[in-house]
Amino acid sequence: MNPRRLRALFLRVVQEIRRDRPSLALLFIAPVLMTGLLTFILREGDTPAVSAAIVNEAGPPGSVIAGPLRSALEAADVTVTEPEESSARKAVEDGSTSVAIILPADLSTGGAITVLTNGLDPTGEASQLGVVQQALVNGVTSAVGGRLPAIDHETVYGVPSNDPIAPFAPAIVGFFAYFFVYILTGVSFLRERTGGTLERLMATPVTRFEVVAGYTLGFGLFATIQVAILLTWALGTLHVPAIGPLPGFSIGLGVAVGGSPLLAFLVVLLLAVGAVSLGIFLSTFARTELQIVQFIPVVLVPQFLLSGVLFPVGSLPSILQPLVAIMPLNYAVNGLRQVFIRGADLGTPALQLDLVVLAVVAVLFAVVASFTIRRDVA
Amino acid sequence: MSPVGTATATPPPGLVPAVRAVDLVKAFGPLRAVDGVAFDLAPGRIFGLLGPNGSGKTTLIRLLTGMAHATAGRAEVLGVAMPSRANLGRIGYMTQSDGIYPALTVAENVRFFAAVYGVDTDAATRDVLALVDLSDRMTSVAGTLSGGQRRRLSLACALVHRPPILFLDEPTVGIDPLLRVQFWGHFRSLAADGTTLIVSSHVMDEADRCDELLFMRAGRVIARGTGADLRRDAGTDDLEQAFLWFAGETEAAR
Repeated sequence: MNPRRLRALFLRVVQEIRRDRPSLALLFIAPVLMTGLLTFILREGDTPAVSAAIVNEAGPPGSVIAGPLRSALEAADVTVTEPEESSARKAVEDGSTSVAIILPADLSTGGAITVLTNGLDPTGEASQLGVVQQALVNGVTSAVGGRLPAIDHETVYGVPSNDPIAPFAPAIVGFFAYFFVYILTGVSFLRERTGGTLERLMATPVTRFEVVAGYTLGFGLFATIQVAILLTWALGTLHVPAIGPLPGFSIGLGVAVGGSPLLAFLVVLLLAVGAVSLGIFLSTFARTELQIVQFIPVVLVPQFLLSGVLFPVGSLPSILQPLVAIMPLNYAVNGLRQVFIRGADLGTPALQLDLVVLAVVAVLFAVVASFTIRRDVA
Repeated sequence: MSPVGTATATPPPGLVPAVRAVDLVKAFGPLRAVDGVAFDLAPGRIFGLLGPNGSGKTTLIRLLTGMAHATAGRAEVLGVAMPSRANLGRIGYMTQSDGIYPALTVAENVRFFAAVYGVDTDAATRDVLALVDLSDRMTSVAGTLSGGQRRRLSLACALVHRPPILFLDEPTVGIDPLLRVQFWGHFRSLAADGTTLIVSSHVMDEADRCDELLFMRAGRVIARGTGADLRRDAGTDDLEQAFLWFAGETEAAR
């Protein structure tokens, strides 16, 4: 490695990105907007009003349940009607009632209660079903004159949080950093290959390791800035007081973090460096910028699905577990969760493993990427 | 097969040739893009590599610059076997595509290549931009330049380290006649300073500006000599006719 050439390569990459305003916006502003939007949706999302229709086909034995069920539902802010079965079905069908609870004629001999929803929104209906179930338990318990014990929730790590973004924040921060750095490196290295500058560069004394290192340093710098912005945004809260007629507001998502933000930064940075090499590597297989984008479903979506961003890794089918083990993003997400939620420090073995794996992946891909830069091209 | 024509500038024994090809072969599967090329090129002259598209000019240049590995044979530049990274510092290579960074300014492009060659001084950048007549566009972003200006910038990037050997792959493609005359003016002054130039082209009317011509066809050098020599041997006044005559001769000799 010749430091002078490395410096030239680094500065060139920086100069190029600095002039490219759309890319800068993509790097710095898009992740902030998207995490902000996601947080807003999760935190401020309205639970739609639930309305229930209780249909009693069971006569007096049904009324024993229907009465307390009705009061339990109303206690949970649910509007309750008690129509005939046919009009209840019609109401669920046209959406004017969200759930119909049908107590069957054979209720006293063990017949099952039917809960009817229209089936268009499984997630929403699952939560409605939960409300109905809870009311049913409360209703039945009070019908037999009992009382349910309250549940006290404690967690081993951190404090139980009602903040819906808390479990997602570490994963989202990791994913966005990975995604945007990959896209930018892939496209810009592809331009280097197709624009003839790589060929020309290879006709100079530059080595391919210097090229990869120069790119890693250049994009690494921007990844560093991006991660710093994103983490400050996600973890910080800045209260702006009311000025005159303008109401006060706060900037930043204020996600609680148990450990050191610097450790979180280290995890994301290692991941981003790996994304630089991945971009260089995959640009070998692309001829156009569109094809770099076409790699997203092949390379990034599986990582998104298999790295615990949305679904906990432990809940994935066991046949997919070996794939989970080789996803770099998985280690970053896990590492970030260790830092955010568990408050892990450098002495935590689980976090050490994540850091080591991410560092090894970054180095490995850098070597692989440099071998895709051959003097003997085309 | 030995090239027809008179070898006028084979260096005398004892003098290291600027460029030497020894039975060079480059095969892509069954296709032999370069098929047994052998020559010595003397320093300080302009050599024209002439032939139709697909005749192997670019592949030959890539072998000589060490950008591709030969299937068989040997390429030497200034007495050093290629590929040799150390030797690349003494070679300038202007690729067929512009090979410049459109987001950088003219000066930044030149400075980048200068730094890569280890000669990044303001003077080097200024001098080479003056040479290609781009001094007034130093701060322009390269992507905003006209096609001809981009070609000149590309030439400047290949020249900035003042290499003794310069390979130019179709340097005048797509530029207007006026600029073409300017380019050949640059080439001539470089040669006068002792630089060896290897210029590929498929435009025969550029040939007379070269000191010596190598006709290429189907991966082989089918003739070599000055423009006048080749015309005389072919018995025609027209270089294009001469090329066709040599091509026919080669076919007949097979």
